[in-house]
Amino acid sequence: MDEGNFRSDALAHLDALYNFAIYLTRNPPEAQDLVQETYARAFRFSHRFQPGTHLRAWLFQILRNTFLTFYRLREREAAVAEDGVPDWDTPMFHDAPDEDSGAMDAHTDLERAMRRLPEEFRTVLLLAEVEGLPLEEVARVMACPVGTVKSRIFRAKERLRGLLRDYETR
Amino acid sequence: MTDPLSDEALGSRLAAELPRHAAPAGLRHSVSEAGHPRAALRPWLAAALSAAATALLLFLVFIPMLPRIVPADPVQRMVRSVVAEHTRTLMWGARRPDVIPAALPWLTQESGIGLLRVFVGDERLTFVAAEPVYLEQRRGIALHYRDENGHLLTYVVLPAPGLPMPERQRVQVDRWRPALMQDSGFSVWVWKQGDLACFIVSDLLAESDLPNFREHFVRVRVATEPILK
Repeated sequence: MDEGNFRSDALAHLDALYNFAIYLTRNPPEAQDLVQETYARAFRFSHRFQPGTHLRAWLFQILRNTFLTFYRLREREAAVAEDGVPDWDTPMFHDAPDEDSGAMDAHTDLERAMRRLPEEFRTVLLLAEVEGLPLEEVARVMACPVGTVKSRIFRAKERLRGLLRDYETR
Repeated sequence: MTDPLSDEALGSRLAAELPRHAAPAGLRHSVSEAGHPRAALRPWLAAALSAAATALLLFLVFIPMLPRIVPADPVQRMVRSVVAEHTRTLMWGARRPDVIPAALPWLTQESGIGLLRVFVGDERLTFVAAEPVYLEQRRGIALHYRDENGHLLTYVVLPAPGLPMPERQRVQVDRWRPALMQDSGFSVWVWKQGDLACFIVSDLLAESDLPNFREHFVRVRVATEPILK
């Protein structure tokens, strides 16, 4: 794929990447920075992209890796379950700050509940359910086996369900 | 009637109800601009840059031929190499900026040095990169961090059994006594952990910077435990 085609193909996914970045950072300026950095990296390393593979998944992967690299400010010793996700009450070490100054308001219970999910859970749901990526591509983005993705989706929905029930009973 | 909280229904609700955020026009513009090849340089500027690059290349080629004074002290030699590695990273960045602590097994394999615990950054020091290095004919490991004021810190571990510590430069920092050395305009903490020599280099050279540099040392020292594999 020549460079011009690669760039125009990559730009076609801008909205999806920005949407993903918003749910990761919860902050529009930070989401914009993240997307810009993602494209800068994608253009710089375009030669590493294998034509015929899923460009969108590749871009999501770069975005998520960039997010984890730049936003992982604190690593806490978290109790990690078998699928690599800390238990319910353990704070995630690479969540973006909860309610900082530029943070966006959540308008629906579903949005609010999504925000409370750990990054791994939020990401699998966004990629698999919202973006409609096949599980194999989600696994590639998250650098884990497909089985782990399935397990995370299951657990993510379980938590989401719990949170939504909490909101309903308030 | 379908349970609105069933797995299937939740999936559909996420797809249908979760608000989608479209990229702002400004972002679209800046990303598109970044995607275009840069405009050609003006001819005179290109010639000037080309001449400057040639001069720089010649300078770099001949540098090794200039007479150099190599420090006799082994610690000073290592400090000079570590500072050179730090300078290289300052100028050209890490070779593998995508390597994050998840790739530590690979680093261990490449460097022969394991990290039982590793400082991955906090609110004051952000982890930048980790990479294997080869300094003073030894394989080692370098971790780079950036502090809140933008200063780059390079933490290097090299195997150095029997390396003597420079007693005169040792200072008490918390419960440790590392040596504080200087070379080529950089400050360097030097200490031993078993048969490993550890270094932290930074340009925090001024007297007023020293308290910060001490704190950075404590942060890294307390949370990092290298071992020889």
